[in-house]
Amino acid sequence: MPVSILPPTAPLPPRRDATSDDSDVDMSDDELTPQTKSIVTPGEHITSDPQWMRGHGTYVPSGETTIISTVAGHMHKTNKLLSVQPLRARYQPEIGDLVVGRIVSVQAKKWSVDIAAPMLANLPLSSINLPGGILRRRTAVDELNIRTFFSEGDLLVAEVQSLHQDNTASLHTRSLKYGKLRNGLFASLSGAGGGILSRRGGVVRSRRQVFTLNTAAGEIDVVLGVNGYIFISKHIKPAQSATDISITRLEEGVSETLYSSQNDEIEPAVMREITRVSTLIKGLVACGMRVDEDMIVRVYDGAVELEAEERSMGGANGVDKGIGAKGVVETVLGRLEVEAGG
Amino acid sequence: MAPQQAALVNLSPAELSFLRSSLAQTPPIRLDVTKGPRDFRSMRAEYDVLPGANGSARIALEDGTEALVGVKAEVERSPQRPSLGAHGEDVDMGDEDVDESTGKGQNGWVEMSVEVPGFREDDSLPVFLASMLKESLLASGELKDRLYINARFHWKLYVDVLLLSPALSYPLALLSMTTHLALLTTDLPALKSEKDEDPLFDDDWDAAVPLYPKTAGKTTTDKPPVIILAMAVGPNIIFDPCKEELAVADAVLAVACTNTSSSSTGARIVSIRTIDPPSHLTPPGIPNSMNSATGGTAPTSSADALTQRELLASSGVWTPPRGGMKRNLISQVTKMVVESGGIAEEVISALAAIEVG
Repeated sequence: MPVSILPPTAPLPPRRDATSDDSDVDMSDDELTPQTKSIVTPGEHITSDPQWMRGHGTYVPSGETTIISTVAGHMHKTNKLLSVQPLRARYQPEIGDLVVGRIVSVQAKKWSVDIAAPMLANLPLSSINLPGGILRRRTAVDELNIRTFFSEGDLLVAEVQSLHQDNTASLHTRSLKYGKLRNGLFASLSGAGGGILSRRGGVVRSRRQVFTLNTAAGEIDVVLGVNGYIFISKHIKPAQSATDISITRLEEGVSETLYSSQNDEIEPAVMREITRVSTLIKGLVACGMRVDEDMIVRVYDGAVELEAEERSMGGANGVDKGIGAKGVVETVLGRLEVEAGG
Repeated sequence: MAPQQAALVNLSPAELSFLRSSLAQTPPIRLDVTKGPRDFRSMRAEYDVLPGANGSARIALEDGTEALVGVKAEVERSPQRPSLGAHGEDVDMGDEDVDESTGKGQNGWVEMSVEVPGFREDDSLPVFLASMLKESLLASGELKDRLYINARFHWKLYVDVLLLSPALSYPLALLSMTTHLALLTTDLPALKSEKDEDPLFDDDWDAAVPLYPKTAGKTTTDKPPVIILAMAVGPNIIFDPCKEELAVADAVLAVACTNTSSSSTGARIVSIRTIDPPSHLTPPGIPNSMNSATGGTAPTSSADALTQRELLASSGVWTPPRGGMKRNLISQVTKMVVESGGIAEEVISALAAIEVG
């Protein structure tokens, strides 16, 4: 099917959210009334009954008791607390979050990083690991060579170190886990927010965010940023065994390739698997599903199985799969549901 | 050469290098692995969406790019040209019964405007998109002749193309397909008056005549052109590239095709243009050997850097493509587009199927 044109459909069906079985922040979800399915819009009067308290996403004009929604989203009632959960939101950074970001601009002593938050985050030169060991002093030469570490467009994985008053985040990459990203592909879940929103699509905090996926072709690293940015890359084994370098000199072993913008040799089969994972993540987003390690692993295995079946049937007509990434993910999810049910 | 999109590519050299090497595989690994090099992104289409227009269509791609086209026709008085030689030239008056309108259409009778959010009306992107769409539309000359009513009046066709979403990928192909569908479903009121009388139209909308007559019997009528975007990466040719894929293209070609008048298969080219790929403007990746942060030595001068870069054998470094499109690559693209069962035929028949079903 080189060209597939479909008639328009009705608006997307409501997201098939996994039931919230995780984190402890949403304990109160059991008490939600069926009303939560209705959508309120900004400026809409929710109630003027003084018994209710206002929560997130609402506001009360001074001298009145009317609670007004400030965002478009679902209304939640927790005991006597009314809050509105927005349908789409930008990521709100919190200290300690693992994020994937892209350098937007380079300034004298810091970088501005896009982390899908309302404002750009800062990455000061003083919070990165300089090549040549942790004890090296930052010099004026490093400031002049700032572009050799990160330049515009580069992707990096970092941690939110602190938040300023206006909610801009300061990042740091002072760990061997963090740094420049290469050997792979970038994908993003836009508008998923983070935090409270992560229950409905998006990346969940307090889950494993960096994991290795075993594929037939080799191992693939997946980094799920809390901000919804995702990087899928080839798994690089540490070049030297850990016994060769002492703990204090760990940095030196890595610094060789820490700020490299050159890709390693990647086998075509690995390349294909990386691209497949990124396609499946896009499919998951299109289906409105939550993206976490468990889901990615299950959908990936299902998709590989599907392809193997298709090949053994010898033709596209053998297995009924939908069009594009979304179709594949829907088929796989359908199968998983059947398996879970039977 | 048409300009590329103003929004620059914002990908890191490592990503660009990865994308390029995966697209240069045989067979190419596209960003959406479920798609082959000839596959188009799936889209949703509908027509007759605007009640006030003579013809309209809307196409939405799966990535959220959406285009809306309205076609509106008005009757306009043709300016009377002074005929100096009186009737000296009109010796072939007798033949005019065959088709009175042949060769009388004017390019100015079709007006096209393209609106892309985030761009001013006079920015280069919308202007070039409009002129490319108009150029392919007028190239065959059959459309403008159909707008001729009589010596004093003609139809003026306003084609308004609206991109509803930000231009995620180069929107030319999408806009052209939407325009195709809108023109295909455009109806003009049936003419009741004769010859050079003031035009009088049938007010019964059911009697309206389509601008592009439907296939009558075995003679195939012409259809509006459709522009197909093809890009080359190494030896591979990829159709309907997405934004990230375009960012690593060696060359991009926009081929406008319409169906052949002689046979029902294949297509013919009405216009062809190269598009400056955004990859030309991307900064090159810095190889480890030239990066002081990775243990290499930074070149001392820019000439030195150039020499080192030329000698570079490593494949993992992004180098922006240089030069244009090779001749045999162009011929390969055109062949894949126009051949019987080629891309153009598939696109045109898929769009025609929408109208029927």
